[in-house]
Amino acid sequence: MTQEKLITEEETDILQEIMNIAFGKAAADLAEIINIFVQLSVPMIALVKAVDLPDYLKHEMKSGQRISIIEQNFWGEFKGSAFLVFQSGAGKELISLLGSDLDSSFEAESVEVLERETLMEVGNILIGACVGKVAELLQDVVTYSPPRVIVENNPNDAIPQSLFDPSYTAIVLKTLFCFNERDVNGLLFLVTSQESIGWLKQALSAFMEQYE
Amino acid sequence: MITKILIVDDSPISRRMLKSCIPKDMGYEFHEAGDGLEGFNQYKALVPDVTFMDLTMPVMDGAASLQEILKFDPLAVVIVSTADVQAKSLANVLDIGAFMVLKKPPTKEGIAEALAKAAEHLR
Repeated sequence: MTQEKLITEEETDILQEIMNIAFGKAAADLAEIINIFVQLSVPMIALVKAVDLPDYLKHEMKSGQRISIIEQNFWGEFKGSAFLVFQSGAGKELISLLGSDLDSSFEAESVEVLERETLMEVGNILIGACVGKVAELLQDVVTYSPPRVIVENNPNDAIPQSLFDPSYTAIVLKTLFCFNERDVNGLLFLVTSQESIGWLKQALSAFMEQYE
Repeated sequence: MITKILIVDDSPISRRMLKSCIPKDMGYEFHEAGDGLEGFNQYKALVPDVTFMDLTMPVMDGAASLQEILKFDPLAVVIVSTADVQAKSLANVLDIGAFMVLKKPPTKEGIAEALAKAAEHLR
């Protein structure tokens, strides 16, 4: 199946709007918990061959910078992996947003633990709310794996080399965001495998039926 | 009385979703714009009775477009329809002077209620 035929332009537009609604909900959930304003951008949808996915993600993350990643898999009819990617230093900024002060009394090891837990918490909220809303809008229910957190690593070492069967094409839903009061930028990718595409096409069509 | 409605949203699907929620039997005249700047320009040219405005858009976002529209026409009735449902975003556009805010995705009931309030306001 060629990429061009995998999903139509209209289906891409519908997915983009659903991602827009879902990430808006996720941002609002996060803003309620940590009193922050999340600057949103228009989401992008891309079709990427699974074999090219690690390179695509590295490129999107401006490889060279150290990054932190929260990765979570989700299962339902809508199935795939979510990657929340922050640039270097974001973890420490987020710690202070969640009300903890980093002072000299913290041992380096406990700072790393705190940073990991903070990233996991923020990732859980953003990924859970966003994936959950996409699933809800498409009349699906998903379950999640525990999040995996990689703190301050080189992109080459942080991204799994083989996410899916290399012959598959992944749909990448990407949204860029920044926390207004802090120098924290990030990207959220939802990568769904070709296995989900048949269902996804039907679900998008059903979603739009209410708007005919 | 509402005759002209302008829908400003960068997503064609989102415009279609919103339009489908608007009653068909009211004889409304519809106009559309794909970003905040185009929305402002269309507003100046058409002076619609009601404008539905998205917030997260390229070129000019919805909050900036709303400000420009209200500078041009302080009585403009602009209903913000947005996926950015953060309390600060909603408070910001209401402070600027949005008539009301609707959260996406739109519903027929929500749109009907908003149009009824707008019609009452314009009476």
